[in-house]
Amino acid sequence: MSETKSIKEMNKSSSSSLFRRNVRKFMNNKLALFGLIVVLVITIACIVGAVMGIDYSTPNLPQMKKPPSAEHLFGTDTIGRDLLARVLYGGCYSILVGVFCAVLSSVIGAVLGALAGYFGGRVDKFIVRLSEIFQAFPQLVLVMMLVAILNKRGLGNLLFIFVITGWMTTFRMVRNEFMSLKSETYVKVCEAFGMSKSNIMFKQVLPNVMSPIIVSTTTNVAFFILQEAALSFIGLGVTDATPTWGNILNAAKSLSVVTDQWWIWVFPGLAISLFVLAINFLGDGLRDVLDPKQQ
Amino acid sequence: MLKFIFKKLLLMIPMLILISIIVFFGLQFTGIDPINFMVSPEVLSANAENIEALRESLGLNDPLLIQYFRWLGNCLKGDLGYSFTGAPIVDTIAVRLPYTLELAGYSLVLSTIIGIGIGIISAIRQNGVIDYLGRVFAVLGQAVPQFLVGIILIEIFSIKLGWFPAANRVSPGAANPFLDSVLHLFLPVLTLTIGMVAVLMRYARNTMLDVLNSDYIKTARSKGIPEWKVYLKHGFRNAMKPVLVIIMFRIPMLIGGSVVIESVFSYPGIGLTMTNAITSGDYPVVLATTLIIAATMLICSFLVDVLNALLDPRVRLGE
Repeated sequence: MSETKSIKEMNKSSSSSLFRRNVRKFMNNKLALFGLIVVLVITIACIVGAVMGIDYSTPNLPQMKKPPSAEHLFGTDTIGRDLLARVLYGGCYSILVGVFCAVLSSVIGAVLGALAGYFGGRVDKFIVRLSEIFQAFPQLVLVMMLVAILNKRGLGNLLFIFVITGWMTTFRMVRNEFMSLKSETYVKVCEAFGMSKSNIMFKQVLPNVMSPIIVSTTTNVAFFILQEAALSFIGLGVTDATPTWGNILNAAKSLSVVTDQWWIWVFPGLAISLFVLAINFLGDGLRDVLDPKQQ
Repeated sequence: MLKFIFKKLLLMIPMLILISIIVFFGLQFTGIDPINFMVSPEVLSANAENIEALRESLGLNDPLLIQYFRWLGNCLKGDLGYSFTGAPIVDTIAVRLPYTLELAGYSLVLSTIIGIGIGIISAIRQNGVIDYLGRVFAVLGQAVPQFLVGIILIEIFSIKLGWFPAANRVSPGAANPFLDSVLHLFLPVLTLTIGMVAVLMRYARNTMLDVLNSDYIKTARSKGIPEWKVYLKHGFRNAMKPVLVIIMFRIPMLIGGSVVIESVFSYPGIGLTMTNAITSGDYPVVLATTLIIAATMLICSFLVDVLNALLDPRVRLGE
């Protein structure tokens, strides 16, 4: 009894030293650290701004199209709303879209990938076909088609659409990993012990695939934020009542805004680019730490 | 090989049918009644009987399944129906699809040349100036949204400098049609190319580096083959196969990207048609454009498969 306990403790201490080593490795990667800090700073700024309840929605016509000043740090937009407030609030929604969709589509992709890779045969064929149908479209066109079908521009619809169109990459990756892992000895041992299939799939095999899933989820956050921005920019994303980074940039569709009111598109543009840049650095750093063979 | 091509072609048909079913029945759920777009509301409430007759004559009262097969039959005959504005959709698409293919095609060719070129130079002169600049460019190119790149290009090249037009595909009464096309295509193509190059460059660099570190390159060098020949004949050829496959897999991204870019440059391609149709609720056009884009995509992925099989015998035998 005491011996098993000590082995468990040894495992625990060795895994925690592995964790410490990974943290150190991550800290030494300057770009990844920079990415993490920028992501945290922008996220916290947006959340603090939203919690403070800054006014982002009241139009103030006498104040419209004012360049940056002490009163309005980022200037005001075409109907006189404070741009800083809108960028902060919009950040909350954009980041929410990115994180929510990336996490949920990874979960769907991982579950379907586990099922397809582990069971093989007909289940596998069916799910692979399904993913091929989704991939027959450019993702943006698929999203646009669903926007047309749902016929309402709301945040909820957009989240739903992104999740059901975004799981295929994770799915393929997890499926391939499962196909190679399922012939490993430890899986055979689990099967011989009579463990339930769901236990083997999700408790025994899936943890071994976690690293690439975490990395791809991180980069997907950036992908979904860009996707939302593009969709809102062409006017098919979220309605103007809910500010997002892409939504604010929608004002730059008019050429007079592009030339005469540079601050309206430069600040949200900078915010989105900086955030995506930071996420990409963070993702690369995580890959170096978690998934050395993929470099 | 012929068997492989045939099999892939046969697989495309159920795909297309399935997509058409999803789009057709999906759009029925929107609850939009085409009659509302054809007749003004006052007339609608006054002439309930005539409206019913109109419905009957348009076949809107038939079961959905029959409507679907009628629509599919018409599509196969080349009749995609009429837009709510009254124009035959086939005519619109015949003009606009080539514009989009032009945009995507030129961007593909240009980004392939530039992406592979820079990628190889950065692999040969690893950690040199070009490699470093390329890395910065790749990182930025993937972080800045493509439509923002488009806006910046418009601001610089068409507003500040006035070199290129900021919108449209043709200007009426242009003296030199060829020059006119080049001027209109330049900025949108450049925008799409920047996005593609940012991705391709890294792939090209990394595969070239892998190849340059392999044994047969060392053998070639030790035989005393001139350096440029080692790079071009031994390195380049072997590095290109995976890069070409990546390029072809990026074609959907290119077509998706052109949908957004067309909106930025008011470029009258199929993407802008679709965007406008969705905004205005013109469902026959949404249906037709989605189907056309899906068909284009399927044809592209078919070509990718065939080319891939030509390059790599393993794919052919695996099937």
